[in-house]
Amino acid sequence: MVNTLAPERAEHPASRARPAGPGLAARARRRQTVVAYLFLAPTLLFFAVFLVLPLGFALLLSMSRWAGFDLGDIRPVGLDNFTGLFARGSTFLTPILANTVLFALGTVAVALAGSVLVATCIDRLRFQGLWRTLYFLPMVTTVVAVGNVWKYMYEPGGLVDGVLNALGLASVAFLQDPHTALPAVVVVQAWASAGSAILVLTAGLKSIPRSYYEAAELDGAGAVTVFRKITLPLLRPSLLFVCITQFLTGLQSFALITVMTKGGPGDATAVAALEMYRQAFSYGDWGTASAAAFVLFVVVLVITLVQLWVLRRKGEDA
Amino acid sequence: MIRRRHRLPWVSYLLVVSGAVLMVVPFLDMVMTSFKGPGEAGRLPYRFLPRGFGFGFGNYRAALDQLDLPVLFRNSVTATALITGSVLLTSSLAGYALAKLRFRGRDLIFRLVLTTMMFPPFLFFIPHFLILVHWPLAGGNDLLGRGGAGLTVSIVALTMPFLVNGFGIFLMRQFMISVPDEILEAARLDGAGEFTLWWRVVLPQTKPVLVTLALLTFVDAWNEYIWALLISTADPGVMTLPVGIQLLQDHVDPTRTMPVVMAALVLSVLPVLVLFLLLQKHYIRGVVLSGLK
Repeated sequence: MVNTLAPERAEHPASRARPAGPGLAARARRRQTVVAYLFLAPTLLFFAVFLVLPLGFALLLSMSRWAGFDLGDIRPVGLDNFTGLFARGSTFLTPILANTVLFALGTVAVALAGSVLVATCIDRLRFQGLWRTLYFLPMVTTVVAVGNVWKYMYEPGGLVDGVLNALGLASVAFLQDPHTALPAVVVVQAWASAGSAILVLTAGLKSIPRSYYEAAELDGAGAVTVFRKITLPLLRPSLLFVCITQFLTGLQSFALITVMTKGGPGDATAVAALEMYRQAFSYGDWGTASAAAFVLFVVVLVITLVQLWVLRRKGEDA
Repeated sequence: MIRRRHRLPWVSYLLVVSGAVLMVVPFLDMVMTSFKGPGEAGRLPYRFLPRGFGFGFGNYRAALDQLDLPVLFRNSVTATALITGSVLLTSSLAGYALAKLRFRGRDLIFRLVLTTMMFPPFLFFIPHFLILVHWPLAGGNDLLGRGGAGLTVSIVALTMPFLVNGFGIFLMRQFMISVPDEILEAARLDGAGEFTLWWRVVLPQTKPVLVTLALLTFVDAWNEYIWALLISTADPGVMTLPVGIQLLQDHVDPTRTMPVVMAALVLSVLPVLVLFLLLQKHYIRGVVLSGLK
């Protein structure tokens, strides 16, 4: 699929062979242009209204003060919103931006470790389709269901609590304790996103030539050696792909946190996208909200570019 | 090969099965809780199974009573259908133009489509909301978009930001490229118009991708929460299932109503789960193809 990315420039062989005169060909070409723009009209119109216009609007707002009512009340304030975000006493850098990165990092680490282990194991089993389907179930479930079911499981008298007590351990108020709230939410996000990681890694595993394993087996290599010397290096493109996409999702997502903790207790689970949402729709500070959105965008962009750079340096092409 | 398959099978089985249990248990807990009686959920010590399944009837009825589920279902179904239909239509039209028609600006437009996939959705929440509020000549607005609530008080608002999908266009284009040009040229010489070609020749050939795209779009639209929450605060009449259930969960005493919330969740998750299990081969292939989500 990758090599078809570049738009094809080659002429249609049939049109080259057609004996018609240049006038006819030009007319056919003009007709194709008209039809093409007709077909693309809804798409282009949509992007103009819902992509280009919003980007300009967000940029304007990020440098204005506005309470969100009359468009005539937008006051330009230069970069005040941005300096305000990073001012002393602002909660944006810590804990909010730090929480965002920790949330994404934790999710990627847990989901990646779990899915690599499970994907390699599934590859050796029967009923592979069944296992993959089970792991994929959370992906087709609404975040409201996932968040509430887990929230309830973390509550006293819930399943997690029940398991702890059955093991003779004391109860932990996971979502109420500022020290455990963020890890508890990270576990749920990782649980929910492991399925798609497993799918991508399985596709990667299937593309490793089996002769490599057979050769290793003839040499008497153990399972751990085979995993470290063959599976892991050859899986790197899929691993990095999962890493980048999950990091992107982790840095941006706040639906699960909205459902489970609303950012609390205190600011223990407040993340940047949630803060942006709150600034605009709860506090009516649309300028700060838009500025926060752009800062988060830059953070996402930088982290993604760094990962791509590492990927290039390792000599992989993905 | 056979020997590798049987190497360490019990360790693998143990890992995969215990992981699978971890995946499924929350769903089972949701179902079990939906059958628990008042005061039974959240009581110590924790019990997995409900005392009896008799309370289930009451919980599901209470969910229906308190939530106005028919309206929530209607809103969710309408929004999901509109989004899925629109994404399929616009993606296949644009995909055909980008894959099979030659015109000036094609490369540029294709790059633009790819670029749209890179922008994070949260960047657009605020401006999209403002654009809908100030939509001209709708919901009491004048020509300049002032005076009323605009499109935010209509069910269309739920769907607007999702009607066109850059990823869908990209997916359709990639698969339409493999339709042989010879067939299209032959049909063109026979006098078939481009619309006929798109409808009669290209679409039937790309049916599997259409199914994949339909499923991906359906699941995302059905489960969408944040945007729907925002629109529902402007107009509670267009509330969707996830928003309605979350509202119930936020406003009532958890020990009493948790079973009712779980019953509502079971009802809301069920349609997608059934659809997924029926079509999971397509779905999983689609996700592998797209490498996204």
